[in-house]
Amino acid sequence: MSDKTQSDHAQGDGHAHGELDMGHTHVSSSAMFMTVLIALLFLTFITVAVAQFDFGSANMLIAMGIASVKASLVIAFFMHLKWDTAVNKLMFLSSFLFLSLLFIFTLADQFTRRLDHELHTTPSEPVDGAWVQPAKSDGPH
Amino acid sequence: MSHDDHHAVVIPAPGSEFVPHTVAHHFSTPVQEFQAGKLGFWLFLATEILLFGGLFAAYFYFHELFPQTFRVGGEQLDWRLGALNTSVLLLSSWTMAMGVRSAQTSQKTKTIVYLILTVLGAVGFMVIKFIEYRAKNEHGLICFGHLFDGYDMASGQVSWFKDYHGVMANVPHGHMFFAIYLTMTAIHGLHVIIGAIAILYVLRGTAMGRYHAGYYLPVDLVGLYWHLVDLIWIFLFPLLYLVP
Amino acid sequence: MTTNTPAIDVQKSPAAAPRENYLNCSKGFKSWALTLDHKRIGLMYLVGVSIAFLAGGLFALLVRLHLWEPEGMLFTNIEYNQIFTLHGAFMVFLFVIPAIPGSLGNVVMPLMVGAKDVALPKLNLLSFYLWLAGAVLAVLAIVLGGFDTGWTFYAPYSLYTDRAIVTIGMAIFILGFSSIFTGLNFIVTVHKLRAPGMTWFRMPLFVWAIYATAILQVLATPVLGITVLLVAFERLYNIGIFDPRLGGDPVLFEHFFWFYSHPAVYIMVLPAFGIISELVSVHSRKPLFGYKLIAFSSIAIAVISFLVWGHHMFTSGQSTYAMFAFSFLTFFVAIPTAIKEFSWVATVWKGSVALNSPMLYTLAFLIIFAIGGLTGVILGALNVDLHLHDTYFVVAHFHYVMMGSIALAFFAGLHHWWPKMFGVMYNELQAKIACATIFIGFNLTFLPQFVMGSRGMPRRYATYVPEYVPYHQASTIGAVILGAGVALMVFYLLASLLIRKKAKENQWGGVTLDWIAPTPPPHLNFDEEPKVVHEVYDYSTLDYDSMQRDC
Repeated sequence: MSDKTQSDHAQGDGHAHGELDMGHTHVSSSAMFMTVLIALLFLTFITVAVAQFDFGSANMLIAMGIASVKASLVIAFFMHLKWDTAVNKLMFLSSFLFLSLLFIFTLADQFTRRLDHELHTTPSEPVDGAWVQPAKSDGPH
Repeated sequence: MSHDDHHAVVIPAPGSEFVPHTVAHHFSTPVQEFQAGKLGFWLFLATEILLFGGLFAAYFYFHELFPQTFRVGGEQLDWRLGALNTSVLLLSSWTMAMGVRSAQTSQKTKTIVYLILTVLGAVGFMVIKFIEYRAKNEHGLICFGHLFDGYDMASGQVSWFKDYHGVMANVPHGHMFFAIYLTMTAIHGLHVIIGAIAILYVLRGTAMGRYHAGYYLPVDLVGLYWHLVDLIWIFLFPLLYLVP
Repeated sequence: MTTNTPAIDVQKSPAAAPRENYLNCSKGFKSWALTLDHKRIGLMYLVGVSIAFLAGGLFALLVRLHLWEPEGMLFTNIEYNQIFTLHGAFMVFLFVIPAIPGSLGNVVMPLMVGAKDVALPKLNLLSFYLWLAGAVLAVLAIVLGGFDTGWTFYAPYSLYTDRAIVTIGMAIFILGFSSIFTGLNFIVTVHKLRAPGMTWFRMPLFVWAIYATAILQVLATPVLGITVLLVAFERLYNIGIFDPRLGGDPVLFEHFFWFYSHPAVYIMVLPAFGIISELVSVHSRKPLFGYKLIAFSSIAIAVISFLVWGHHMFTSGQSTYAMFAFSFLTFFVAIPTAIKEFSWVATVWKGSVALNSPMLYTLAFLIIFAIGGLTGVILGALNVDLHLHDTYFVVAHFHYVMMGSIALAFFAGLHHWWPKMFGVMYNELQAKIACATIFIGFNLTFLPQFVMGSRGMPRRYATYVPEYVPYHQASTIGAVILGAGVALMVFYLLASLLIRKKAKENQWGGVTLDWIAPTPPPHLNFDEEPKVVHEVYDYSTLDYDSMQRDC
């Protein structure tokens, strides 16, 4: 299986890339990094501003949503994943997928325990044939 | 092991201030070595996501169980220091990315400058963290001196949670918020320190001319680790300081 | 075995020195302690895990001897708790999880893909030393007071018990990283270091199995890491997340623990499946039936294994809805597993079957694993499990898969690759006797446990009521027979290294790259980089001459 070789998008400082860089890396531009930084700082400001208001249970979702956007910027651009191989993308992003399984099932367990109270009933009369603790009035044992 | 020599692949140095890089013997090409290193490191980052993820799972679980505790607990944290720390880390992520880029384009001096700035960011982060922890200590919310003193079975009071101002008196299990806060931020802080040490390591290598356009993998990988540290804080900050 | 002398054979000349291979290419302690050669690292793992296996087996014999009498013959109840915990912890963390990937995986997998080494040899050496450090810490934990929580370390008992829990927790944390780094290394090796011409579907199935295992190692083990860390922190500074007295939830511990430990059982069994896939093909001299099915089923098992962990917790107090979900999903994992079992049987069917010792272990596996796997499905049924949970039925099920299947597959692989690793052959008759002894001993040990478990005998009990005496005593006798079989196996394998009867260049007639490489392989595995042009398991390419001449 051959891996994608990526063409060199060298930008920024005019530096010879001929025989050295093996033709497989993308060099990000300084301008791009600066843009991402400004976006991240701006989103941080938004996060703090939004937190001044109370949206009830949506607070968590909004905060995590903005954090996810920031995280995506860091992963895609600072960590360069956007220009990386498909395998690397798959390996890293699958960790979030499996992590979400841990979240989903443990939280679901907790949420649905409240529903359990409706399922459990205590019989008030002993059922025929079932093993029942002898009542105290049955005399000496 | 004499039979390695004829297999050795050497990447030439792009200038006299750099040294050539010899590709490891079991790789056939420099590209293979580069891609293997990257894949390996992304896999390692995946494990870190899952490691921290467990802590986040615990956070969410108890946030649902004790929402009041988390709300009041979160109010005890200074969100301004948290926001400052977030900005410091974001900036240091930027300097790190610029540093990797400089190594990638064989600009030795710029690389060194950016790496030093990143380490300074790490130090700044830890200083702010120390200030925060000291404040918690003063308010009796985390008495570091009594951290390992166990708890009183009769009252259920944990020995390091003294809560001098009684801020958590009306919520159940007040200490739990601060226990989770301490665990998550301390483990994160440990990763900041490890990251800083790793950056110092590649700083040394850069100064020795080892990293250039032909071989900058270690700088790249340390950069990935540093971004991960930033990534975790991006989620920690709102959860601990803001959501409640 | 023929006595034909091939026309050209430079090795037969009496004055010729043994050909240079990875064993003799360098000498001295440092050349092993600091080796970067995956084959040497694999051998070091082999020695380590074998010692751990024997130690775990010793604890098992102590357990079974103690249970000869209903009041317990050897220990107090507290001591018994320690003994069965040691048996479980040593076996699970020091043997079953690391053994096949660490030993056979390390030695064989790079050869099979035509590489010179794994992708990250220094990390490989680190993995081994982490295993060693974990082993040392585990022994230290015994010295510092032991641990009596069962290998599952359930909260809240693990938080309160006055034992060396933090020490063994740290041992497990370190062992976890050994496992993670091994998995990481193997994934990169399979992706990046395959020889030219080796497409994904020309990879031997052992490689597919190791790859699926590696994915689990990387994704699941970190959660174990954080779990033991949290238990240690709970004990050290009372976080309170697992401790009910501080508002915590012990069931959350179980969720964390089993999120790893269920995929962990597939970390244990998938490499065993890989070994069996290789052996049924070679020893039936027939391509695998359903190659792609087996390959994809390994990946399917890896993925599904993340969805079923709650089936270990049916009586713990989860919500009923969660239990429905976990039970339902558990049945799905049986499907790819069954696909494998049927494919293996179909491979043997009408093959040219050689009933040599590796094949005998393999056939034993096919029988035992069928029982082990099916009883797992039984336990996956929520309503049945409510009665069988924490009984000997569960104990029997997991011993059928862990001992009867995984350990047996490990033995099978050991015998199969022994000539390749060492260039010598063991005594075949003794091997067959040992295999039969192990098979009989194993079944006598664990078959009665299914019965007594279904009749209510709880697990982890130091004493029991007299009605279970015949089952326990049969089981103990079986354990002694099993131990004797294992002892015989250890004996003749070690003896083969001293007697040094030369193996054949291609002892069994394999056609994968591990058998094309010289026996034993040189330091860098191949004299020239192999180029793969044939499909895998193409026995028309078999070089019969290599099966005749000595290595």
